[in-house]
Amino acid sequence: MENLGSLAIILAFCLSVYAIVASVTGKIKRNPFLVVSGERAVYAIWFLLTFASALLIYALLTSDFRLAYVAGHSNRSMPLLYKFAAWWGGQEGSLLLWAWILSTYSAIVVYTNRRRFRSMMPYVTATLMVTQCFFLILIGFIVSPFEVLAVGKEVVGVADGNGLNPLLQHWAMAIHPPTLYLGYVGFAVPYAFAMASLITRQPGDAWIHTTRRWTLITWGFQSAGILLGAGWAYSVLGWGGYWGWDPVENASLLPWITATAFLHSVMMQEKKGMMKVWNMVLVSATFILCIFGTFLTRSGVVSSVHAFAQSPIGTWFVGFLALLIGATAYLILDRLDYLKSEARLESVVSRESAFLFNNLILLASCFAVLWGTLFPVISEAFTGEKISVDAPFFNRVNVPIGLFLLFLTGIGPLIAWRRSSLESLKRAFLWPAVGGVATAVVLVAAGVRHFYAVMSLALCAFVAWTIFQEFYKGSRAIRSRTGKNWLAAAVELTHRNTRRYGGYVVHMGVVLMFIGFTGAAFNKDKTVEVHVGDHFAIGRYELRVADINSGENPNYAWSSAEVEVRQNGKLIDRLYPETRFYKSSRQGASEVAIRRRLHEDLYLNFAGLSEDGDNKAVIQAYVFPLVSWIWIGFWVLMAGTLICLIPSKTRFQFARTEIVGMVKEHEPVRQ
Amino acid sequence: MSRFGNSVVLLLVAVLALAQSSSELMTPDVVRIGSHLACLCGACNNTVANCPMLECHYARPAKEKIYRMVAEGRTDEEIIQSFVDEHGLQALAVPPKEGFNLLGWVMPFAAIAFGLLVIWWFVRRYQGVRVAASGADDEVFERYRDRIEEDLSRLDS
Repeated sequence: MENLGSLAIILAFCLSVYAIVASVTGKIKRNPFLVVSGERAVYAIWFLLTFASALLIYALLTSDFRLAYVAGHSNRSMPLLYKFAAWWGGQEGSLLLWAWILSTYSAIVVYTNRRRFRSMMPYVTATLMVTQCFFLILIGFIVSPFEVLAVGKEVVGVADGNGLNPLLQHWAMAIHPPTLYLGYVGFAVPYAFAMASLITRQPGDAWIHTTRRWTLITWGFQSAGILLGAGWAYSVLGWGGYWGWDPVENASLLPWITATAFLHSVMMQEKKGMMKVWNMVLVSATFILCIFGTFLTRSGVVSSVHAFAQSPIGTWFVGFLALLIGATAYLILDRLDYLKSEARLESVVSRESAFLFNNLILLASCFAVLWGTLFPVISEAFTGEKISVDAPFFNRVNVPIGLFLLFLTGIGPLIAWRRSSLESLKRAFLWPAVGGVATAVVLVAAGVRHFYAVMSLALCAFVAWTIFQEFYKGSRAIRSRTGKNWLAAAVELTHRNTRRYGGYVVHMGVVLMFIGFTGAAFNKDKTVEVHVGDHFAIGRYELRVADINSGENPNYAWSSAEVEVRQNGKLIDRLYPETRFYKSSRQGASEVAIRRRLHEDLYLNFAGLSEDGDNKAVIQAYVFPLVSWIWIGFWVLMAGTLICLIPSKTRFQFARTEIVGMVKEHEPVRQ
Repeated sequence: MSRFGNSVVLLLVAVLALAQSSSELMTPDVVRIGSHLACLCGACNNTVANCPMLECHYARPAKEKIYRMVAEGRTDEEIIQSFVDEHGLQALAVPPKEGFNLLGWVMPFAAIAFGLLVIWWFVRRYQGVRVAASGADDEVFERYRDRIEEDLSRLDS
């Protein structure tokens, strides 16, 4: 079976090389049959990688411990879901998943464009297949998922596997990596179209129109992947945090930031024909950062909790990254003539410049995160001494940048294209500004003295008001014309221009998430050691450990504390934080108990019994104000993304600059 | 030993490993000084003060050391310096704002400044070069201008 798996991967590798050669040769020699055969090779690769993946999944589900990968990441007692999730629980399997997702995307792209963009498609196929080829080299020749244990040696066999890391045995973690991969890999498609557009010297924006949905969908997957990871960290790791500025977390954030910048600046190109070079740079940077993130996770360059076991694939990634950066930079610089702007900037106070600032701040944030992640390596290379760049650095640098970005989220959408008059600015921002200032005043009057928290909540109020105002104005106009109720009018309004109003919903999601982030300024925590029956207090809660139970199942042994939660003497809840010990991996893990409410979460981690033999329960208790708004904001953000994907009812013809005469260079214009 | 017995032993080992007896270590002094020091356990990016792992092999002894030195009457600077002497600059949670490491702090903001310069250049370039339409008479030009204004006002409403 393992031979068939390896054979499928090697065949897929050969076909990927064929697809590259056939597509490019077919295009150059004007041989459509060769081009089509290159495209069919893409389908064949998908079948082969689906077959290889199915074999690995079968081996995992049937606990075939002859395979090193199965023995290393699965065991007999694991539930079926986690046996399946072990597909991406280790280096080799997750690379196979990468390759499989890419082959799926490639097949969809080739199928949906089989009659369109015939001049660009050969290069789209070739670009996708270069990436595919790279990943197939890795899993075919360097870190094969089908490696067999102890072949030819007198080893009877492995009785049971090591099992999946216990921390990964959680539903959110089971879907977090594939979701993130769907986002990471998905950016290969806009990148491939961008490169094909450059290679074929396309004068228009065809690649942008074609890849708009891809970009949005993959951005949605990236957002979901990142937030699932944050949600998992919050509910599994036992320390209550959702973001630790770990190098690998940062690596997942970087392409998301550049993708967000791209989603915004692409509007400048669609509506004004501006920023063409910049959009090429952004889409390329996003894809390159996706590969860079994968490299960071797997190379051991920076130490991280997420890092896979070190392997020789780091050098291969450096080579591939160098190839990508070199080829992209050459193409963009060589084709600058085709990327000239069609319009000019009329005023600094305009939607155009709001986009410029939005891009600047997003990129600054991206750079700050990248710089902080790599600075220990850079500093050590120059000074010879190791330094630490931990969470306080990222918070200090990124909090002001994030707040400015939140401010722009409110400003940008309300400024008119081309130029805004003072009067229109006043009309758009007077009441939102009043709302923001009033929020700040109320918070300060209520005794809140945390500067960033006050700023953040005031800005949230400001941005929320601008969004509400937009929906209100539009819905009111529809109501007055059609007589519909407010909700129906708002739905109609959104349906007429889904991108605009879906975008507002996404912004609202971001506002809600910022409310959740701000709550961190008021976190409380306490670690106590208490006997059964003892009380302790945190925030407004009085807690009592009522009982401690223990037991076991084939996978793990557990010990659980029953904690009564009282407020003003009244019993309001019972929580059961648990500590587990997984037998095969011999590792412990927490199963925290969380009482989630909109205003705050009560979060309990049962760390076990005290070591002095006194049988005291060690409980870490936390109160996290507003944290639920992060997850609510996430769902709103996803809803907004979905709305953006629905075609608008009204097709807009955007006013583009039209050429009404010849340009006379260097001639001053009479005003 | 029976299977159940094995499990009980495993559970006990786990519980002992996870337990801690000195939650009283987290005094305001330890939190204040610990927030300047990196947890060098290799598994987190937290500070000594907020490392959540009770039995962290780095943060726990570090907290004990801070607690002890505070009790001895040492100043914050002396305590932090003793960590730097022992582990090098990596003992600090953030790079020191001096020498080469100052670059770590300056660069993100320098990048924003550079970006502002690029925007300034962009604005100047695209505002400075104006399209002089020749060959199109004023009437045609005005007609297009009106049309564009109308489209845009509809778009912005």
